[in-house]
Amino acid sequence: MRWIGRLFGLGLVAACATTGAAGEGDQNLPSAGVGPFRRLEPEEVKGVAPFVLDDARALYREPAVLRDGDSTLLYAVARAGDDDVIVRTRALDERTFFGTSGHFGRSPATVLAPDAAWEGALSGPALLRFRGELWLFYAGREGIGVARSPDGLTFRKEPGPVLPRDPAPGSWEPAAPRAPSVYALPDGRLRMFYAAGGAIGEAESADGITWSRLGGGPVLAPAPAPAPGSLLPNEKPPFDTASVGDPCVVTRTTPAGRLHVRVLYTGADASGATAVGFAARYGEAGPLSRQPVPVYSVGQREAAPALLDLGDRSYLYVQQERRDGDASFVAIAGAFAPANVRLPASGDFPDTP
Amino acid sequence: MARRRPRDARAAATRAWRPAGAALAAILGAASPARANPPDTFGFGSRETAMGGAVAAETRGFAASYYNPAALARSRGLEIGVGYFRAEHSLEMNGRDNGVDPVKGMNAGLVAPGKILGLPFAFGVAVHLPDDRVSRVRALRQEQPRWELYDNRNQRLFLAANLAIEPTPWLWIGGGLSFMSSTRGRLDISGGANVFRPDDSRLRHEVDADLTAVRYPQAGVRVALGERVALAAVYRGEFQLALDLTAHLFGDVSGLTTALYELHTRSVNNFLPQQAVLGGSWAVTDRLKTTFDATWIQWSAYVAPVAKLDAVLEIPPPPSGWPSTVTPPTTPAPTRIEPLKMYDRVVPRLGLEWHALGDRAARGYLRGGYELAKSPIAAQSGLTNYVDRDRHTFSLGVGGAFDDVLPELPGTLTIDAHLQLSRLSTGTTLKASAADYVGDYTAGGSIVNVGLTAGFAFGEERGQGAKAAAR
Repeated sequence: MRWIGRLFGLGLVAACATTGAAGEGDQNLPSAGVGPFRRLEPEEVKGVAPFVLDDARALYREPAVLRDGDSTLLYAVARAGDDDVIVRTRALDERTFFGTSGHFGRSPATVLAPDAAWEGALSGPALLRFRGELWLFYAGREGIGVARSPDGLTFRKEPGPVLPRDPAPGSWEPAAPRAPSVYALPDGRLRMFYAAGGAIGEAESADGITWSRLGGGPVLAPAPAPAPGSLLPNEKPPFDTASVGDPCVVTRTTPAGRLHVRVLYTGADASGATAVGFAARYGEAGPLSRQPVPVYSVGQREAAPALLDLGDRSYLYVQQERRDGDASFVAIAGAFAPANVRLPASGDFPDTP
Repeated sequence: MARRRPRDARAAATRAWRPAGAALAAILGAASPARANPPDTFGFGSRETAMGGAVAAETRGFAASYYNPAALARSRGLEIGVGYFRAEHSLEMNGRDNGVDPVKGMNAGLVAPGKILGLPFAFGVAVHLPDDRVSRVRALRQEQPRWELYDNRNQRLFLAANLAIEPTPWLWIGGGLSFMSSTRGRLDISGGANVFRPDDSRLRHEVDADLTAVRYPQAGVRVALGERVALAAVYRGEFQLALDLTAHLFGDVSGLTTALYELHTRSVNNFLPQQAVLGGSWAVTDRLKTTFDATWIQWSAYVAPVAKLDAVLEIPPPPSGWPSTVTPPTTPAPTRIEPLKMYDRVVPRLGLEWHALGDRAARGYLRGGYELAKSPIAAQSGLTNYVDRDRHTFSLGVGGAFDDVLPELPGTLTIDAHLQLSRLSTGTTLKASAADYVGDYTAGGSIVNVGLTAGFAFGEERGQGAKAAAR
């Protein structure tokens, strides 16, 4: 019987050869690349988390991002004297931007300032690489303009707005369009999402200069209020019942081969509270479907999202209220997805913006 | 006919078995609904796994406790068995491995046969003891993609105890229970929290956890139609592993206000659907045996492992109101649980065993098998992402039986090995809503399962193993 005991003992040893490891099974999960996002943590940024670009005087806001090799270019609206201008900065790790408040003595480079009568204050920058140049779309008082640059620092403006107020009688747009976001279709045509009033519309262009509006109405309007009694206890109504705006469009081709037009936007409810939402469609035409749950909601007046989709991970940049004691000012915060992934410590500041 | 017992003896035996039958019926009747075992997916015992699991009419030894309890009564001497297997997943979504944990551990069991009033009788126990954990509890958001049938539900212990009788030389009947435990727990925290100096907080903790036994039944019958053909029917009951957790937090917050947080979460962490198996075996020649099983699985009763959450949060504002920098939390909204649609399935299995070498003291076997498990999960075009794909499983094995290896230890030693390859066909999941957080994805992969089992049948006469296998 001894050898049976030995055999049994051997089996027990084999069974106990490993000990309980942490359960996995959730690696490399598929994602549409648009969150939900978590705020960047203190060890993940150089300054005050989750802010990646802040200054109490410059009031950085309305970010736009673009990948440039290993760098991340970030354009934003900033206060310069009495003007609102567009500045550019850069990071090598998507988080440590040149000229933020902790980068003493440095500041982002101003790349665009208002100098035309139709412009007034500049806002809503959006970037597109097109025909070998970097195109910077922006909003002014009378509509949306564009400037072009070979290097991303020196821009040449078009003389007037490329998408002015809608002159059509009975238009759904009560004000001049603003907050552009542009993408290219596979056949080279350009599409622009823009905000007007409390909704989002769409326009098309073959050359980036001459734009025509699509459809007779917005592609995304505020969510309807929920029917009485349709909410569960403690369930919140939609976050975007009052207005939608600040579209940020990023396209991809899904693993099934479908063109996926993804739009992040600012949603606001009747109380004025904001959150960042996600709406999308498959294909180049049609209204956007909305995701009922915000991708980013922190209760700090978050707005004007900009998405950097790096495939297996995504960064979200938003303007957000930074509270400093009883004072507060607007700054640009960073968020990350997948939310369960921790980032390494922040890197060094780049040498140039 | 010469082997039949006299009619009066059979009547006496029948009377003698009535209490045992009543006891068996009682424990089966007391069983809680139950179902989801590692053996369902990866087999139990190397011989049976190598034959594609198509062994309801062919199993014997300790593996019968899982495949067909009736076959326990085929044993004529004490049998013990112990083995080890490791099933490694290579399951991918969008071409990237998801790191699904392997299932590995020891399979063991014993069969203790005897006779009561002249009727062969056996008692058997079997256990799958995982390496890493006895059981894993995991409640994921319903949106999170997961390999529903492979990620968590195979990470658990399997323990079964069965009784079997052979009332006539051509009939075997058996049944018993499998066991698991569900979890209930309560956490109470009370006291005062100092948000300005956390080290000065005074909190009292109280934990009350309870593992409640869950039992589910299995039963089987085997009928020999002559020397070469046998049929079998097996039933395995349904089982649900519940996870029921309650948390109660109440206390003072820095003298400013009080906070009450009550949380109750309920979920079915593991669900095994009830199953019915029809099987047959045919000894085509003295050396070649074929087997077939068809397993009906009631997947339509599946309960998704999503936690139902009820929460109450009460933090009244301080008399002076909330500071401007403080945003008080609000009560979490309840989860709208999307139903998981699954379809009943019939899983066909085929097996072969070739007595390739030897006739008497040492015998060698080659085995093979195939199983087709069509995915029971409906297309995941909506909010949920319970990922699964059709599974084709091919298995191979070798085995040896050696009589009286040691003179002082009469009996038959068996050593069997198996290699099981499963291929989950790659398919694309299309989402109906473009605003889905997960979006379209492809999924597929493979599973490799290898193992070794050793067994010893005490006191069997030389060649009895071969005769018993034919019986």
